[in-house]
Amino acid sequence: MSATLPVRRRPRSARGPLLSLAGFLVAAVFLAPYAVMVLDALRPASDVLATPPSILPRTWSAASFGDVITDTRFLHWLRTSLVVSLASTVVVLLVSVPAAYYAARFRFRGRKAFLLLILVTQMFSPTALVVGIYREWFEATMVNTYLALILTDAAFNLAFAIWILQGFFAAIPREVEEAANLDGCGRMAVLTRILLPLARPGLVTAVIFTFIAAWNEYVVALTLMQDDAKKPLTVGISSYVTGYEQNWDQLFAASVIAIVPVVVLFALIEKHLVAGLTAGSVK
Amino acid sequence: MPEATTAPPSGSAVQPVRATSRRPRRPGPPGWVALLWLGPALALILAVVVYPAVALVRASLARYSITGLRTGSAGFGDYRRVLHHPDLGRVLSNTAIWVVGVLVLTILAGLAVAQLLSKDFWGRRLVRWAVIVPWAASLVITARLFTLLLDYYHGVVNEILLDLHVISSPVDFLGSDSWILPSMIAVGVFVSVPFTAYVFLAGLNSIPGDVYEAARMDGATGWQTYVRITLPLLRPALLVATVLNIIYVFNSFPIVYTLNDRNPGFGHDTSITFMYKLAFKSSEHDVGMSAAAGVGNVLLILVVVAVYLRFVARDEVED
Amino acid sequence: MERRVVVRHTGLAGGVALALVLAACGGGTGASSSSSGSGGGASSSSGSGGGGKVSSITLMAAEYSKDHTAAFWNDFAQKYQAKTGIKLNVQVVSWDDIDQQASTAIQNSNPPDILNLNAYASYAKDGLLYSSDEVLDPAVKSDVLDAFVKSGTYQGKLYGMPDLSSARALFYNKTLFQQAGISAPPKTWDEFEADAKKVSALGKGTVGYAMPLGPEEAQAEFSIWLFNNGGNWKTDGKWTINSDKNVQTLTFLKKLAVTDKVTENNPGKTNRTDGAFALFSSGKAGMVVGFSPLQGQLDKDKKVDYGIAPMPTSDGSTPQTYGVTDYLMAFKKNGNQDAVKAFYQLYYQPDEVNTFIKAEGFLPVTKSGVQTFASEASLKVYLDTLPQTHLTPTDDPAWDKVKLAVQQGIGAAVGPSGDPKKVLDGLQQQAEAGS
Repeated sequence: MSATLPVRRRPRSARGPLLSLAGFLVAAVFLAPYAVMVLDALRPASDVLATPPSILPRTWSAASFGDVITDTRFLHWLRTSLVVSLASTVVVLLVSVPAAYYAARFRFRGRKAFLLLILVTQMFSPTALVVGIYREWFEATMVNTYLALILTDAAFNLAFAIWILQGFFAAIPREVEEAANLDGCGRMAVLTRILLPLARPGLVTAVIFTFIAAWNEYVVALTLMQDDAKKPLTVGISSYVTGYEQNWDQLFAASVIAIVPVVVLFALIEKHLVAGLTAGSVK
Repeated sequence: MPEATTAPPSGSAVQPVRATSRRPRRPGPPGWVALLWLGPALALILAVVVYPAVALVRASLARYSITGLRTGSAGFGDYRRVLHHPDLGRVLSNTAIWVVGVLVLTILAGLAVAQLLSKDFWGRRLVRWAVIVPWAASLVITARLFTLLLDYYHGVVNEILLDLHVISSPVDFLGSDSWILPSMIAVGVFVSVPFTAYVFLAGLNSIPGDVYEAARMDGATGWQTYVRITLPLLRPALLVATVLNIIYVFNSFPIVYTLNDRNPGFGHDTSITFMYKLAFKSSEHDVGMSAAAGVGNVLLILVVVAVYLRFVARDEVED
Repeated sequence: MERRVVVRHTGLAGGVALALVLAACGGGTGASSSSSGSGGGASSSSGSGGGGKVSSITLMAAEYSKDHTAAFWNDFAQKYQAKTGIKLNVQVVSWDDIDQQASTAIQNSNPPDILNLNAYASYAKDGLLYSSDEVLDPAVKSDVLDAFVKSGTYQGKLYGMPDLSSARALFYNKTLFQQAGISAPPKTWDEFEADAKKVSALGKGTVGYAMPLGPEEAQAEFSIWLFNNGGNWKTDGKWTINSDKNVQTLTFLKKLAVTDKVTENNPGKTNRTDGAFALFSSGKAGMVVGFSPLQGQLDKDKKVDYGIAPMPTSDGSTPQTYGVTDYLMAFKKNGNQDAVKAFYQLYYQPDEVNTFIKAEGFLPVTKSGVQTFASEASLKVYLDTLPQTHLTPTDDPAWDKVKLAVQQGIGAAVGPSGDPKKVLDGLQQQAEAGS
């Protein structure tokens, strides 16, 4: 189950090394700014904004990473981010799967309106809506609770998941489902045992998308999570650099640490995405 | 090889819109059954998104003091004041350049990156991990990082360009009136490409291999194959990427706000930062006006997406 | 194998589904009496009528520094609760966001009980605040430095209780001064201009003076210059933003930037934090207007040998100090008056207020505090002049908008095609229209 990619029909061409070279160039472009960020975390704060700049630290120091990971405030923020992002992702899956399945399989009145509503909800930026979001959670006496933030993040990211999953469900031949029905499976069982495994790449895409969106959300969390220990990383991290005190090294060390869980999550589930997606071309 | 068997046979990873247009084959069961399946999604959206949207519209019709205290009804006064704002024209043209610029460059770069990532080569996996990093990093942080990288005095970008003798004196990427918008667009593209490339990658992988096989037998060149076969088959993915990117780029706040934070006034703002500054950073300091601008922003996106779906992506959406 | 993964997913999700249903019900009706939420900013009133006493109050505080602000207030909250039995919810918000957070709370008729901000007059004007008569011990009021009582007073009543203060002074790089052959910091603007030219002439990217007239704090930068030319924002209750003196001041600043070219590139688009201060901290700027937190940072870095001097004046007369204070204001809410009063009582205990100020590296706001800090040699340059310090007109609600107009507008005046007179005329008009 390790890195075995499905065998592709076309043999590896002689362009392989060239492609690798191009691939690493692309990787370098996307990584370069973050490499600078790592290097900034590895130098004293006063060296980060030095004029003239130097790419490599003039003095190497990993102290910032130690400062950050032993800081209880940071650990609280990290925990909030993890809890909220994971839970939002689960909520999105749970809510979007039935909706996407139903919209893909059945023609019902208001179907188009439903899909349109989903699309339109994406157009509102939380920045513009934050006052109303605060009001409704305030009235529900849920300001400053994880649940409020989880549900808000889930709602704002539902649309993409429904879109993606709908496409996958629609693409699964009915015959598969009908055969299962003959075997005596109920609709729920068909969905969980047969369709979901088949739509795995879609699920993976939805998971990545939702997790990242929730992980990076700023303005809603800023407004809803008032208790310092309940802030997520995106909000808490602004404490490192204020108008009065600048801990640039710690800001970037914290940022580097904040990227890691997302990349790890991606690395863990990426092979499912790859496997599923490439399987299409094996057919 | 469980992967191959569990994947959808026609593997249409990212074709939701085309899929929605596919005629569902059964008449629906009674309404309450639909509610059972769609209910949670509808409830979540109605409760969490629609309620604040209504609140936004109500705020746009009210008058507020600088502190945020509601002092009465404004009728359409907030809208009038936004429409008569001396910088509105500038903001709208900035928004158009920003959205079109980021969108077009992102689609082109995304296509290229996806094409590369769909090929099988040594180290592909690592490259895929690398490409996700700008997507994984929070925009707030990436924007902050780029203000440092692009700075006139302590920015590494200037230092490298000077060392390579590309330029002879530093460029004020963020403070110069002619450079700031291109700089913001470049960063906007940088953070948008990963998501877009993954949408395209999914689309590319859903194209059956035998189509290419047939094209090769007909003696088509690589470029011909790409233009005549790949691109048309990528249309559903293009549609998704375009529509979502239009929305995200329109609403993209941190990059424009942070990169532009040293420039006074509204000279380089887009509609979303204009909205925010109206409320808190400009001498208007008026959340009613800001709400009116926020409503306008949504209407603008709605119109742009509707026009796109109606005229450009007609085939895919038609039922 | 795949199946297990799916099953695990649904198992985990089941719990959340339940929570979701519960939440949807609670959120929908708004009548939920669930105790799951702490109510955040709400001060939960135990009594139903107006006479009830609160069991908790909320403080929304601006964050000065990562390691001290939250730590101080959390510690303070414990002492406050031990003393009064009332819970103090502490909400620490970054300076960039606090205006938005306060506005959001007020739009929803749920302001914090105590708000720490750099402005208060608009809140007082809207009738939202308690005056000192209602919540402050008269002994504390008489201990507050007169300059801050004046700046915190709106229509005869003190609403803006100062939490801490800072004063600006001229920081100069001793090493660069020595290299340029300058023996003492400038006392007049002519000397200043000459010294800035000498430092700029050192080359290698050094600039004579780092001038942050970008939107972050342009009003502070301009204030210190205009006070040292005998100008002011308001004179005898009238706006005098475009007075001849002020036009002269801004014209001088433009000359430094455009004609003499002794400032950094694009000073009208340079912020303080990541611009002017960064340049001075890396030893590339001869002079900058700084304050005690910058001093703390420079001492920590140990990279720049710097000195601090009073600002030069246009004609060599006595230097004027520009000071800033932030405020702790209290919002009128049912039943919170005693709790708020107890908050101030505790905050102005010398152990509290001075500990906070010392930790954050700022200056005191009380006469007793000035005495306490008098032993700190490094603060002498500010403390001597603190009682006579000049402040911006924070007692005028119109200033809350004028300040923003200055931040967004004044930078344009020091660009190559900038017109100082026109910019100041525009600001004057805006100020008069807003009064």
